[in-house]
Order: sequence, then C-alpha cells, then structure tokens
Amino acid sequence: MLELKDLHGGYGKIQILNGTSFKIPPASITTVIGPNGAGKSTVFKAVFGLLNITSGQILMDGQDVTRRTPKQMIDAGVTYVPQGRNVVPQLSVYHNLELGGITSNNQARVRDRIEQVMDQFPMLRQFKDRKAIELSGGQQKQLEVARTLLLDPKLILIDEPSIGLSPNLVQEVFRTLQALRDQGVTILMVEQNAKSALAMSDYGLVLELGQTRMHDAADKLLADPRVGHLFLGGHIEEEETA
Amino acid sequence: MAEFIQILISGLSAGSIYALAAVGFTLLWQASQTINFAQGEFVMLPAFFVLALTVKLGLPLPLAIILAIFLSVLLLGAVFKKLVVEPMIQHGTLPLVIATIALGLLLKEGVKEFYSPLGQPFPSLFPQDVLSVFGAAVSIPDIANFVIAMGTIIGLQLFLARTRTGRCMQATAQNPDVAQILGVDIKKMVLYTFLINGALAAIASVLITPIYLAKFSNGEVLGLVAFIAAIVGGFNQIRGALVGGLLIGVIDNLSAGYVSAEYRQAVPMLLLIFVILVRPQGLLGTSEGRAV
Repeated sequence: MLELKDLHGGYGKIQILNGTSFKIPPASITTVIGPNGAGKSTVFKAVFGLLNITSGQILMDGQDVTRRTPKQMIDAGVTYVPQGRNVVPQLSVYHNLELGGITSNNQARVRDRIEQVMDQFPMLRQFKDRKAIELSGGQQKQLEVARTLLLDPKLILIDEPSIGLSPNLVQEVFRTLQALRDQGVTILMVEQNAKSALAMSDYGLVLELGQTRMHDAADKLLADPRVGHLFLGGHIEEEETA
Repeated sequence: MAEFIQILISGLSAGSIYALAAVGFTLLWQASQTINFAQGEFVMLPAFFVLALTVKLGLPLPLAIILAIFLSVLLLGAVFKKLVVEPMIQHGTLPLVIATIALGLLLKEGVKEFYSPLGQPFPSLFPQDVLSVFGAAVSIPDIANFVIAMGTIIGLQLFLARTRTGRCMQATAQNPDVAQILGVDIKKMVLYTFLINGALAAIASVLITPIYLAKFSNGEVLGLVAFIAAIVGGFNQIRGALVGGLLIGVIDNLSAGYVSAEYRQAVPMLLLIFVILVRPQGLLGTSEGRAV
C-alpha cells in the first residue's frame, strides 16, 4: 500500500529523516512510535508533500508519489490529520465537513457523503450549524476524522489523535479508526500513548533519529522489552549491545 | 430633529464609504498579514483613472468607471501583491508596512506630478436632488452612496459565507495550515482577497470623490479613517470594519454639526484612543484568531 525507501529530508538545512524505510500493507492500522525528535510527524509531512525531501522514494500501490503536492496526494486518496486542533474555527460544523471534499468535482456526491458521515457521527448532525470553535476538544477531533472520510480515502495519516482527549474519547476515536480499517482503509498513526495505540493496531514501527529501528506485528512490539526501554530514555542499539 | 436626521444620514453615507476601505484593510490583514498603509491612496487613485478615461480619452462615464474598477483590480490587487507584498512579506510584517507607506507616497506624488496638483471636479453619479425624510432634506447622492456601499459589503459577506470559494477564503484566513491539507489553493485565495480589495477601493473612490473633488492628497485622510475604523471595529472581523466605518462617519458628521467643524478630525482619534484603552480588540473583534 505505502512504501518508504531510504527517505531523507527535513526543514531547511536540518535533516530529520535519515533513511527512513518501511512498508505497510493495505487495510491495516500501523502505529508509529518513538522518542521526541524521532521524526514521526515529519514522516507524515514527507508523505503528504509538506516536506523538503532530499533523497529516497515514496511509493503508493507501487506508484512513485515522491514530492507530490498535498492536492495531488488528496487526489491519490490520502488524507492527513495533523496533531492539535485542525478545524476552521468560525465556520459551521457542516461547512468544515464540506471543506473535506472541496477538491472533488462531484459536489453532489460530497453532499451525500456529508449526510453519511453525519449518520456515522450523530454528534456532528446535532451540532451541524454550530461554529467549530464551540465544540469540545473531543468533538473537534471527531469532526476532523469525519472530514477526512468525505473523499473515501485509501490512506489516512493521523498524528497524535489522543492529545487533549479523555480516555473514553480516545477509545472512541480508536474504535472509529478500527471500523475504517475494517472497511478497507489503511491507517498510519503517530501516537505518544504507545501502549494503547499498539494494542488496537495491526502493526507497529519504531522510529529513532529518523530511521526505522523496529517494524513488526503490534502485539510483538508490545511484548518486546526494548520498546519499553526506548520510552524510558534508552536507545535500541544500547539495549541490543548490552 | 430634521437637522439631526440630515446629519445622521449624511454620516451614515460617508461612513459606509469609509467602511468599504476599512473592510479591504481588514481583508488584507486576515488573508496575508498585510497592513496596507497605502489604502488611502488606493481609494484616491481610481478616481484619476476615471478622469483620465473620460477627460483625456473621451470615454462615457459608466464605461470609464467599469474600466477603472478593472484597472484597480489589476494594479491595486494583482500587481500590488506580486511586486510589493510577495517580495517584502518574506522579510516580515514591518518591512512590508514600510513598503506600503513608500507606495502610498509614490502614488500620491505620482498623481500630483503627472496629473495635477489641483483638485479636479469629478462628475456626480447621481442627481443632486433632495428627498424629504421625516421632514429632513436628504440628498439623493447620500442615499445612493449608502445603498451602494452597504450593498457591496453585504454582497461580499454573502459571497464569503454562501459560496464554496468564499468559505475557502475564510479557511485560508482562519487556518491556512488546515486549508492547505484539505487541498485549498491558498495562493489563489489570497490573490482573490487582493483583487477584492482593489475593487472595494475603486468603488469607494467613485462614490466619495464627487463629494471632495479628485485630489492627490485625498488618500491622507481616507487611509487614516479606514485604519481607525478597522481598529475601532475590530481588526479581525469584516462586520467590525463595517461598524467602525459607520461609527466614524456618523460621529464625524455629528461633531462637525454640533461641536466644531474645526476639530472634527480629532474626534475619530479620540474614539480610537478610547477603544484601545477600553477594548483593545475592537468593538466587535475577538482577542485571538483571524476571521473574515
């Protein structure tokens, strides 16, 4: 589905990705974990065309999509939910949803999809005329997830969906992502809450210093002591050589 | 009472034209963090386009106005963005502010040098008759100016709220990062904002110039009033700029009528100081965020 081959890139002269490579299968959830500064969010920006890539390749379904623009990635079936609040605050919930399909040439289809996602997220129908800024943090995150569905994406890149949410809401967001996976959508997620995220994922990969250190089934990573050690401030190489 | 109504309507008429310039001021800030201190000169210049087209080329007034609006959209919108804003904004807001001050001087001195340093009569767009409103004699140009200016602002609001392009412009102004990841062409939306400002300036110009004559220095007062109106109303809301413009127009006229014509220009400044002290975000503005 998505493959990164020896990807290098960063912001200006600062190199963040130092040969990131991985491959994720379709209709799966893969969680990216790693310490701060590992390049987790940067990987997403690279895939979505928001980062200066100096070398390497991004393939989607075997096709080279390296250095495409965000609009081209949306057209290719990719959506991106960055961390933090990503709504247009003064627009209504309905119009925020509508923006999710703004690139479509078939606005009738977008309107149908808005109705369908409002069925999926009844809260959004209830508050569809409210300004997005008037929603709670959890409701805004649901709006962002719902908005990504307007164009029936093949791949969703979602960065730190649990930030600022109560545990119940986090589980709700995770259940939504699992339901999407069951419908055939591929999900690549960055999550600080590694234990919960891996528990609901199919695969996990560990990034450190812009390189892929581990990539395995999520349950195997959960059971691997090196992963716990990494999150307590260690490095995987140290553990391996110890 | 009749005198009060007369002054009030006259103030609303002038204020609605100030609001056009203030709304443009606000739009540019929202979309691109451009504080345009040449806005007054942007309102001064289109009247000279009309004069050049009618007096020098002999075109009929309606056609000249349409062409002047088109020229303003092109020069004060697209060319201004390309040649002044884009190169300067990379260096920060302050260099851009200084560049717009320089541009204002250039436009003012250019008109003075190449057209005329003297005030030029500008053809009236409407009959100079008066109507009786609750016993007050109200001029048709005052009513027409108010209707056209308010109609333009309401039309703009409807465009921003009811069309997909308008909502994309709002998304670009309020959260450009989100707009970009949703596939909105944010460069195009910012360009549209500059084009709209060019059109607003041109409409304000052809409405206000018959009142004051066309003069190279007209922009000095207009730019200041537009800036004050935007600050008083709230720099991050169109409706704030509208309220600010109307308020200043009315207070200015009431001051001239009932206090002193000599000190009328001090009143908007006093209002500005008061609002900054009491409600720094402006009467309708919000303390954070950007919205059009």
